Amino acid sequence: MTSILSRMVARALLAPTLIVAAAILVKGYADVGDGFAAGIVAALGVLLQYLAFGRDEVMAALPVQRAPVVALTGLALGFAVFAVPLVAGATPLEHWPAPGEEPIHVGSLELITAVVFDIGVFLLVLGASIAIIDALAAPTDGEVES
Amino acid sequence: MDRVRDGRGGRVSGSAAAAITAALVASAGLAAGWAAGGGGVDLPWAPTWDLRLAFELDGLGAMYGLLAAGIGVLVFAYASAYVPRHLAHQDRPRREEARLHGAMALFLVSMVGLVTAQDLIALFVFWDLTAVASWLLIGFDRADRDARLSALMALLVTTVSAVLMLVGILMLRVEYGTTQLPELFAVAEQGSTVTVAGALIAIAALAKSAQVPFHFWLPRAMAAPTPVSAYLHSAAMVAAGVFLLSRIHPLLALEPGLLDALLVVGVASMAVGGALALAADGLKRLLAYSTISQYGYVVTMLGAGGEAGAAAACFYVLAHALAKSALFMTAGAVTEATGGKALSEVGGAARRLPLLAAGSGAAAAAIAALPLTIGFFKDELFFKAAAEHGLPLGALAVAGAALTFAYMARFWTGVFLGAPRGTTEPLERRLVWPVAALGALVVVGGVVAGPFAALARDAATVTHGEPLELTVAYHLDARVENLMAIAAYACGFLLFAGRRLLDAPLRLFAGAGDRAGPERAYSVSLRGLNRLSNRLHDIEVRDLRASVAAVIVPGSLLVTIGVLFTPTAGAYRVDAPQGADAPLIVAVAVCALAAVAATVPRGHLALALSLSGVGFALATAYSLMGAPDVALVAVLIETIFALLFVGVYSLVPRAVLRREAELHEPRSRRTRDGAIALVSAVVTTLVVWGAFSRPVPRDGMAERHLELAEDAHGSDVVTVILADFRGLDTLVEITVVAVAMIAVAMLLRGRVRG
Repeated sequence: MTSILSRMVARALLAPTLIVAAAILVKGYADVGDGFAAGIVAALGVLLQYLAFGRDEVMAALPVQRAPVVALTGLALGFAVFAVPLVAGATPLEHWPAPGEEPIHVGSLELITAVVFDIGVFLLVLGASIAIIDALAAPTDGEVES
Repeated sequence: MDRVRDGRGGRVSGSAAAAITAALVASAGLAAGWAAGGGGVDLPWAPTWDLRLAFELDGLGAMYGLLAAGIGVLVFAYASAYVPRHLAHQDRPRREEARLHGAMALFLVSMVGLVTAQDLIALFVFWDLTAVASWLLIGFDRADRDARLSALMALLVTTVSAVLMLVGILMLRVEYGTTQLPELFAVAEQGSTVTVAGALIAIAALAKSAQVPFHFWLPRAMAAPTPVSAYLHSAAMVAAGVFLLSRIHPLLALEPGLLDALLVVGVASMAVGGALALAADGLKRLLAYSTISQYGYVVTMLGAGGEAGAAAACFYVLAHALAKSALFMTAGAVTEATGGKALSEVGGAARRLPLLAAGSGAAAAAIAALPLTIGFFKDELFFKAAAEHGLPLGALAVAGAALTFAYMARFWTGVFLGAPRGTTEPLERRLVWPVAALGALVVVGGVVAGPFAALARDAATVTHGEPLELTVAYHLDARVENLMAIAAYACGFLLFAGRRLLDAPLRLFAGAGDRAGPERAYSVSLRGLNRLSNRLHDIEVRDLRASVAAVIVPGSLLVTIGVLFTPTAGAYRVDAPQGADAPLIVAVAVCALAAVAATVPRGHLALALSLSGVGFALATAYSLMGAPDVALVAVLIETIFALLFVGVYSLVPRAVLRREAELHEPRSRRTRDGAIALVSAVVTTLVVWGAFSRPVPRDGMAERHLELAEDAHGSDVVTVILADFRGLDTLVEITVVAVAMIAVAMLLRGRVRG
């Protein structure tokens, strides 16, 4: 059982961690970081909860059972970005907008399909990491001895 | 299950109905396409490699496609009654039926793709797809070790040879810059490239068509449920091999030596298959040997070449596929009705199964080339082409046809005539009428051969490369084909009548083949590979220390050798450190200190923490070297691993950890490990120092990437590379991550179950 302090710190850190992950993901094209790093940061936040609260409490509080679904969604998103240009008659994984064209701006955000691909990577890394963490934390026969 | 047993049969399941419908639609589409004179699609696939998804329904594609889809309709209908019985015999749930029908449909689709492909790479992809589907189908009885091994054998023989084919295709591409068949035919010339590439592709084709010496997989594949054999081993899988030979025949014809080789292989297969069929006892086994022999005829004709050879080969495939699938289905139906699986266990079934006897009688007569069946014409064209080629081949053709007559007579009379044997169970109608339908078709083809001849002519036109005539008719005169046919019947009858005398030498031949034949070579080499793989596996993963040493020791030795013997003298230099390098040197020194510290502690937690200290120091070094992305990822990975270590240790019982920590190493091993560490440390230091002393190259890939990142709307070049420039790599990598996730979950779940 972990101390009250570590539980408080873990709980307080979860939201900021996810926000940092979102920031790394969105800014990936302009600044350090990418979908992979963002996925690991978010997974770190969840791992901290596992360490502080144990698997049972985390499973009650967060939808971690969905992790494989999240991972496969990310994979599907990546393959969609790969395949959609084929339908449009372009080469696989051709991104939009093309070089030289101006992307659509939403505030200071630029909408480009490469970011969608990166979001796919993010979801996959996040989902796969949590699924593996959860599998490691699952009760085993050995635990009964302690 | 009771409904199945009472002979009326269960209803057709949804998956079976879907497969039948798919085959019907495919047949109708292919027939309409052929009647309309073909047509095709041509889509860019990977334009930078000039790969296209080019498909065209030409005569050859139409004939093989129609065979696969049309016979598919009948076989799927047969399977809808057969498979539920098959599953009931083994007490398996009926829902497994869907798996078989799914694989059958996959096979049909890949076959249609294969026969219409105009690009060799696309053709190769569909070729392997058919192999995968056939693996699923032959190994349908998963609980049966024999079925699994047979499926593996079929897969290995056809896909390993397919790799040779890929090599051949790539050779052609390197030489002529294209894999499009029409373009290749236009530019290819006689020469070593065409000879070698043609030979490699032909080997794959011969393996697929179960020709000598690759024939051994086909009798083994009879472990498959009968509908699978009726489909794959008559009209589709095995036909794919001779299809490929027909498809690339214009290339093969450039080199007469290749055609001669085909001739030899074809005649050998005719002889070996025919002789083994005459000796075989198992019903399906006999038919499998017959298939080897019959495709031997086709390969012989393709080897003879010319107009007559192309026409004979194509017509032969058509007639044979119709008759042979009927015979396979007959074997399955007879086994279901009487319980007998071999000629020695069945007999006298004609009275109890009259319609089956009539249908299969027509089919057997067609294989034996009796008049009034379509089979007569197949041998007429065959004899004509053989006689044109010369006397020796003519004589061999008569001998082959005599063998065929003899083993077909043995098969049909053995099953349907004589004293009744075995039990009698009523059969569903769907186990009988597909055979009757094919039998009727075979007889219709023997009377009105026109449409069949037209289909074969269009196919032969593609094979031959230019338009040709193909007409078949009965001629009541003493022309050479008729004389050869009569000679074949007479010799065949003698062989059939005297088969008891031949039994002993044929058994001897079959036994010799088992002991020293190609199948033995296959199993010996497979066992050798397994042993090699086990040994490597032992060396690499028996214990962690050995596997680490297995990477580090040879790795550092190779690097040392590379550094010492690099021919560009003076390229390796070690500059003195400069003031600006100070932070980097500190970071690397911390890294080294942490590494040394990691060797000291006995406790697991301390060890994990000092190892992550190494990682964090390294991450600092990255960030100092202007690689913030790499540094970020390194920090994150180190953090998550440190936390995972801590978390996992907390799950391990304390006592176990303590016991592990108190284990002592023998002194000799510690000395050895120290020596290894010292060697690798010295070498690594030298290499890293040398690398840091080099000026950063200014005109490489990196500069180009930086320029292009602007175009890709990004300023963080690492992300742009991952998501855009090398996006395909990333896609493959995230697929690997997903697979790893599933594997970890399954492994850990298995641990819980014990």
